[in-house]
Amino acid sequence: MTTNASPTRKVLRYSVKPRLVHALLASSFLTLLLTGLTLLWSPLSPLAAGGLMRHLHYVGAVLFMAVPIVYLMVDRPAAKELLWDSFHYDRDDWTWLKHVYAYFLGHCEGMPPQGRLNAGQKLHHAGVVIFSASIVISGLVMWFGKGMLNANGLAVAAIIHNLSMLILTVLLIGHLYFTFVYDALAGMVQGYIPEAEARLEHAKWVESLPQKEPWLVEEN
Amino acid sequence: MTTYAFLLDLGRCIGCQACVAACKTGNELSPGVQYIHISEQTRGVFPALQSSIKNHRCYHCADAACVAVCPTGALYKEDGLTRLDASQCSGCAYCVDACPFNVPQLVNGRSNKCDGCAEVVKAGGQPWCVKTCPSNALMYGERETIMAEAHRRAEALRVRYPHAQVYGETQLGGLGVVMVLPDQPEQLDLPANPQIPAVLNTWQNVVQPASVGLLGFSLAFTGLAAIIARRNHKQEVAHLHVQNSAEETAAVQPDHANET
Repeated sequence: MTTNASPTRKVLRYSVKPRLVHALLASSFLTLLLTGLTLLWSPLSPLAAGGLMRHLHYVGAVLFMAVPIVYLMVDRPAAKELLWDSFHYDRDDWTWLKHVYAYFLGHCEGMPPQGRLNAGQKLHHAGVVIFSASIVISGLVMWFGKGMLNANGLAVAAIIHNLSMLILTVLLIGHLYFTFVYDALAGMVQGYIPEAEARLEHAKWVESLPQKEPWLVEEN
Repeated sequence: MTTYAFLLDLGRCIGCQACVAACKTGNELSPGVQYIHISEQTRGVFPALQSSIKNHRCYHCADAACVAVCPTGALYKEDGLTRLDASQCSGCAYCVDACPFNVPQLVNGRSNKCDGCAEVVKAGGQPWCVKTCPSNALMYGERETIMAEAHRRAEALRVRYPHAQVYGETQLGGLGVVMVLPDQPEQLDLPANPQIPAVLNTWQNVVQPASVGLLGFSLAFTGLAAIIARRNHKQEVAHLHVQNSAEETAAVQPDHANET
């Protein structure tokens, strides 16, 4: 595959605002995961007794619910684009998904060209949106529904809450897996990634970028 | 396996609150916390008034909703009674929401309820409430003995109270507090047929095994695959750089040829 990419050129994968929103999402999610684990997993339950973890869970929940609002406030076009992208798949995306096992095993060559998000990332984001909604709604029911709902209603809310977190945690494991395999952490920390690798994984997106700074920079 | 039970005879309970005080003192409960709540209830319209005593406490259900939803195993069944190991409690409050009798409460961030005086009984003693009851309304012993005594008392009570009956023989799999009622359960603020929604059992039967299984599989699968996938990706990137260098060289060489 010809890339026409310079080894010294880098492309802007994530600007500062999406990186900050991602940091808010990651930190609030990990807070919720860890404090939730102390509430549900007996080896950690002594940490939760006393109520500190419950209160930290509430703090994490407020921050987690603030993520879409903050994203829309600081970078509305990017937030809307992310939501749109996550639920729209073109022919290349479907072909890409048919060969997802190759991508899973570290192969990009031969895969259909992808946009800013590859089809797997779109599915991941769609899953995050859907199960974040279900975890937020069920969590709010558990938080504020006491006294209004009977034991059955609260138990159903707790089961939806826990199963949503299970799916989000599996999605997180997948997210960390691909971050490790494709060296993607630098993009989310520093913002820029090597152009050659960007072309390999997101050819259509790189082609669509303006060929000037800050989208493309030459590294000394 | 021998199971034990309390007998609570509401035909004999005089509402003196001695059991409440003994329970609080014996179990060294914090101020404001009590495992037994006694209140006098009056029903009907004057002059046809009826009164009864409500003796609200943990009924130690065999099919205990609190045990079914407890994610950490802090609540568990032992000898027919519902025990609580507070050191295992995370304070999630699932038991508070699930109990059909509204018994467990959170105290200092942990679940709190009667555990049938586990320590005292295991040492050969009688529960504090039983030991102190002045009207012989409370008994503790093997469930079979307690059940026989309950039926004997209910039979005797029916001479004056035709609706007298035993409550707790079958409800929720059989209660660990078997009651002798002088009237219908509904008249004494007790559900005739309390139910635990089937969904409550989903936590331990479905959610926990599914979580452990799926997370374990995901971690093991991605952990193994990551070794192969990362090597493949590095090879692909290295190949890409070689290809790009070759293309650059090819692009530069004609210029050199022109220069010469």
